[in-house]
Amino acid sequence: MLLQRRLLCTQVPKRSIHPTHHQNSNLNNKKWAIKQVTKSNFAETLEEIKTHIFNSDFIAVSLQKTGAFSSPWQKVLPFDTAEVAYLKAKYAAERFQVLQFAVCPFSVKSSKIIAHPYNFHLFPRDELKMGMPSYSFFCQSSYLTAMAQEGFDFNACIYDGISYLSRAQELAAKDRTGNPLPRSYMKPSQSPTVYSVADSMFVDRIKSRIKIWKRTCQDSEKKTEDDLISTLRKIVSGGEVFGSRPSLSIDICSERQVQLILETLQEFTDLVPLLVPAKKELQLMEEEHNMQVRGFREVVDLISTSQKPVVAHNAINEFAFIHSKFIAPLPSTVDEFRSSLCSVFSHIVDVNHLMREIGPLNKVNNLPAAILYLKRRFTRPLHMEIPQHIDGDEVRVHGRDVLRISELFAKLCLILRIVPESPEADYSTSSSTLECYANVFNPCFISSSDLLDDDVNISTEKTRRISVANLVFLWGFRGMMSARKLKSLLKGSHEVFSGEIDVRLADRNCAIVVFWAPGFAERFLKVMNSGGTNCEPIKDMISEGLRAACYRTYKRVCELSIWEPSLADALEKALEEASDLPEANSEEELPAICWDNDELTNLDDL
Amino acid sequence: MNGSSKFYRTKIPVVRMVVVMKNLFTIRAFHKSLISLSSSTRHFFCSSSSSASTFAIKNVTKSNFESALNDLRLYVKDADFVAVDLEMTGVTSAPWRESFELDRFDIQYLKVKDSAEKFAAVQFGVCPFRWEPHRQSFVAHPHNFYLFPRQEIKGDDTSYEFLCQTTSIDFLAKYQFDFNLCIREGVSYLSRSQEKEALGRLNARYKDRLLDSSSCWREGVDTKLVRVADILFSERLKNKIAEWHDGLLGDRNGASQTWKTSNDSKQQLKTIFFKMRPALDLTGFTSHQLRLIQLKELKDCLCKEAEMKIKAAIGFRHVIDLLSSEKKLIVGHNSFLDIAHIYRKFIGPLPSTAKEYVISIQKFFPYIVDTKVLLNASTVCQKISKKSSTSLSKAFALLCPQIASGVKTSGLADKRLVKVEVQVDNKRSLNWNSGAKHEAGYDAFMTGCVFAQACSHLGVDFTLNPSSVDLSHHEKLQEYINLLYLSWINGDIIDLKTGERKADSICSKGFKAHHSKILFSNTVLLWAFPAKLKASEIRECFCKVFGSSSITFIYHVDKTAVFIQFSKQELVSDFLVLKETLERSNDPISVLHPLSKVLQGGRTRAASYEVYKQICSSTISKVFFADQAEAVGIEWNAKLSKPVLEVERQVDFEASENQLYTDTRNETEIVSGIDPPLYMHSPTDELDSLCPAEAQMSK
Repeated sequence: MLLQRRLLCTQVPKRSIHPTHHQNSNLNNKKWAIKQVTKSNFAETLEEIKTHIFNSDFIAVSLQKTGAFSSPWQKVLPFDTAEVAYLKAKYAAERFQVLQFAVCPFSVKSSKIIAHPYNFHLFPRDELKMGMPSYSFFCQSSYLTAMAQEGFDFNACIYDGISYLSRAQELAAKDRTGNPLPRSYMKPSQSPTVYSVADSMFVDRIKSRIKIWKRTCQDSEKKTEDDLISTLRKIVSGGEVFGSRPSLSIDICSERQVQLILETLQEFTDLVPLLVPAKKELQLMEEEHNMQVRGFREVVDLISTSQKPVVAHNAINEFAFIHSKFIAPLPSTVDEFRSSLCSVFSHIVDVNHLMREIGPLNKVNNLPAAILYLKRRFTRPLHMEIPQHIDGDEVRVHGRDVLRISELFAKLCLILRIVPESPEADYSTSSSTLECYANVFNPCFISSSDLLDDDVNISTEKTRRISVANLVFLWGFRGMMSARKLKSLLKGSHEVFSGEIDVRLADRNCAIVVFWAPGFAERFLKVMNSGGTNCEPIKDMISEGLRAACYRTYKRVCELSIWEPSLADALEKALEEASDLPEANSEEELPAICWDNDELTNLDDL
Repeated sequence: MNGSSKFYRTKIPVVRMVVVMKNLFTIRAFHKSLISLSSSTRHFFCSSSSSASTFAIKNVTKSNFESALNDLRLYVKDADFVAVDLEMTGVTSAPWRESFELDRFDIQYLKVKDSAEKFAAVQFGVCPFRWEPHRQSFVAHPHNFYLFPRQEIKGDDTSYEFLCQTTSIDFLAKYQFDFNLCIREGVSYLSRSQEKEALGRLNARYKDRLLDSSSCWREGVDTKLVRVADILFSERLKNKIAEWHDGLLGDRNGASQTWKTSNDSKQQLKTIFFKMRPALDLTGFTSHQLRLIQLKELKDCLCKEAEMKIKAAIGFRHVIDLLSSEKKLIVGHNSFLDIAHIYRKFIGPLPSTAKEYVISIQKFFPYIVDTKVLLNASTVCQKISKKSSTSLSKAFALLCPQIASGVKTSGLADKRLVKVEVQVDNKRSLNWNSGAKHEAGYDAFMTGCVFAQACSHLGVDFTLNPSSVDLSHHEKLQEYINLLYLSWINGDIIDLKTGERKADSICSKGFKAHHSKILFSNTVLLWAFPAKLKASEIRECFCKVFGSSSITFIYHVDKTAVFIQFSKQELVSDFLVLKETLERSNDPISVLHPLSKVLQGGRTRAASYEVYKQICSSTISKVFFADQAEAVGIEWNAKLSKPVLEVERQVDFEASENQLYTDTRNETEIVSGIDPPLYMHSPTDELDSLCPAEAQMSK
């Protein structure tokens, strides 16, 4: 295996992308040897990628979707718990479609990355005419426009994209189709067959054979016979029993003969044709059928069976899509999602999480920026080799994120000493080091500057853990307001705000307030519920429309899928719903989040 | 672009700012001439490459939209009628959203509404037809607009998203639809209500900024008195900007040179280009100074700039505004959905009822005629079409053979055929055939041809009049104007003047009066029953309980839901109450009950027809009806809790009597307490716990 890998490395050194310090210029204007795969070259590529997947140490994946979130608050925000983040990712994965799926099996060997990048173009075409894999999907025009600017060929994708079925869908399809035989056989051709001499001889022979067999069958039913005689008779006439019915096997050697026999059999009204393919043929046919049914999922299955660690960026979003499109519909809770995903992919590594290990990088969300940062700080050279040969002069930039992920991962591994540096050592020895980084789902991946208002003056250096019980959502303030203004307004209104508080805008009309002193959030909500009695400023603000809700309401919004464009409307609706119900399990222990950083939830904790 | 980003990021320490010059006409003029130049080269190219009758249709994208719109204005002004057609990214957002025979009039509208709200229009065909008396023929100008709902103006939180139905996209691909052209070059648009909203937001923002800054004054320097230094600063700056302005107009070539202030090296005014206009890049001012500049010099300018942007974003809606303001006769083929798309995309959100909608649409398009209605309703046309399919291409081939296949027919027959000459840019042809079926522009052309020919068959004589005929008020057409098929399956025609279903007089020809038999009040919706339960099995179960003649029919909505129509109305409530009783008691009798086969699994839900309407009016679209009902259920739980409580109470009473089968009279009495027939089994537990209390109170 090792030998083979080295062979591949040395094959085409000309094409490889060279040292790291040239990386950035390569990134912008040089060709990326990413193999673009559509329906027409899928079959050949599948064999190719299979070898690479099994020979490489890691597999990087990156998805290009038709959209991500419909309004600002619906993306994963820093104050989201794992549950809320999952529900948001689930909502997106169920609505949008994956158009490009980039896969890059790669190995890291002594400051060298050997990568085999592929970019698959997908389209959920209903190949089986069963309303699968996807009846419809949403598109965001900004996403499509951005793809168009990169030169993405939508025509090629829609005309020639690879379709797929998820594992669950394949089961459903099998349930419905039953007989996997190609349909062309089932219906004799409309046009009358022109017989050659050989054909008519064949047909005559078969006809007489069937007649004899039929006669013997009918005869033998009438009289009881000696066992030996009946067995002999069966051997002579070639009769057998299929299930409880008598049957006759006819060996044939060509498709033409199948057609001829089917036509001949039409003369016999009481006979049913049954095609039994030869064993080898059967296997081939099944493979072909699987390929047609599973389509791109074959690649996902290969990754799954290889048990190789899968590297991604913003793993929760990517894997919500992968789960919903290629495995099964997404379960309703994050715990079920984790266990279901773990059964398919044993190790999932999020480069975001690794980046956070290095400290200041935790703010770098964008891949090229992260690579640039690492290059400046850690000058160890890292070469990237792409051994595969690509024909044509076309600029193949689609799916380059997967190379960036590979590169970033390799660098981070070197820095964090996850992967051994000697070429002799195998991945298996390093796996234990990697283990502690795997399967961490980090719901938060955005930097604070992504928030609508960056006026907030909270220390960005240190992060503090805070229970979500101390968070309050606030909306209904007059007009547009900056977080700073709102904070100063609140500060003067009531004594609960006299302590340390932080205010941020979750979207245009809704803010989130952090009470660092425990119990103050509850007190504030009580004041709000009482309509602001004994507190004139709050009373005034309430009369102007100020509303507040606890974190549980926010969670409920996501659980009930109240995906209103504005968070304020969604919270309002959730409150309406809640008013009809008794306060459900108010004693439940509320999770904590890391304010201004992110909550990390380990998959293995459960 | 560069300039604008500099402007918005005013929080970085070194503040840079852009002062935009208001109008510089020379640059604009240059820009326009560029467009006309490019279009003239295209003309040249086309005419050299095309043969007589197969020149390409006029495709309109971003790049040639302005010029095409200007030409179209003239064509539409002169036109006798304008044919339109749309290509969408899909039709139904879920299989059960397809049109069913069992859809009541209001539900048919809800289904169309859902479709127009979710899917995007990607191609818009506009084809003005004008009668030319001296040529004795129509002249058609087919236009094929590529549309793409791009977000051109910022500030709108909601994203621009649309649904794609996989089969529809595949269908478009089959007819070689160019998705690349559509996404890269498609013309964007803004509806009237979007424009109004954007302008409103703009006003609010500028007002807000004023308030904001004034409140800052109050907080900071506690008076409104401006400091002397501020006044001096702003005066100095005003002078500088005026100087810059004059200098720029005096010397056109110096546009890109750096223009430094003499006394302060840190504060810079640098001439740059901001959106094709010369602008000043100010460096090194404090934010307080910037606020002063902004307040004094820029506020109006920026506001105007933003307003211009909004106006520019109107895009394709100019075409719709043109059609509306000219009040031309609009011709479509089975066009209720098309018109709904036009309303949703270019006017505003669709009203919740068909009646409100048609009243509103009539304000914008007072004359609409549908060729599908025309072909099916008029006996003359029916004779010609020999009752064959009235799909657009079939009708076109049948009615206009000379255009469809270019066959020259013999003199006598030819006389009855209306001649249509096609003009694209400067080329004309009498037997033009681009052959691009399911391309909006060509479909609009076919629709127009079919309409012209149908008019002629109906006795409209174009040749009589020296000038054009007023088709909108032509007596021969009055019978058909403003009638559209709301649903082709049901043959239901809506009258746009009244919003009512057209009485059977003209529309029912060719249709079995089947749907009149549907009694919606006798119908129950049943969903989430055990999978693979067939309609015949369900019928069997029901017949065992309610008698062999109790079920009129069972109709599959999808594999998870059925409509059951009872022979008598009271059986609806009988069933709902019985279902509730069975589900609440676990005794062996209920397990052995014939209905238990349907109720097995405990997830089976049932409701009256009104609930179907609620489910259809939801914006959610799950693929399976059972999932949809569950998702919508969250919304109506609260609303329905009251009638449910009432029923529960009655059921309690009934259960205490240990009666599973009561005679009909008794049950009608019981259920008469529920007046809107809204009723469904609510899965929530708290209702059960509330129930005894309710029951006691009633006793």
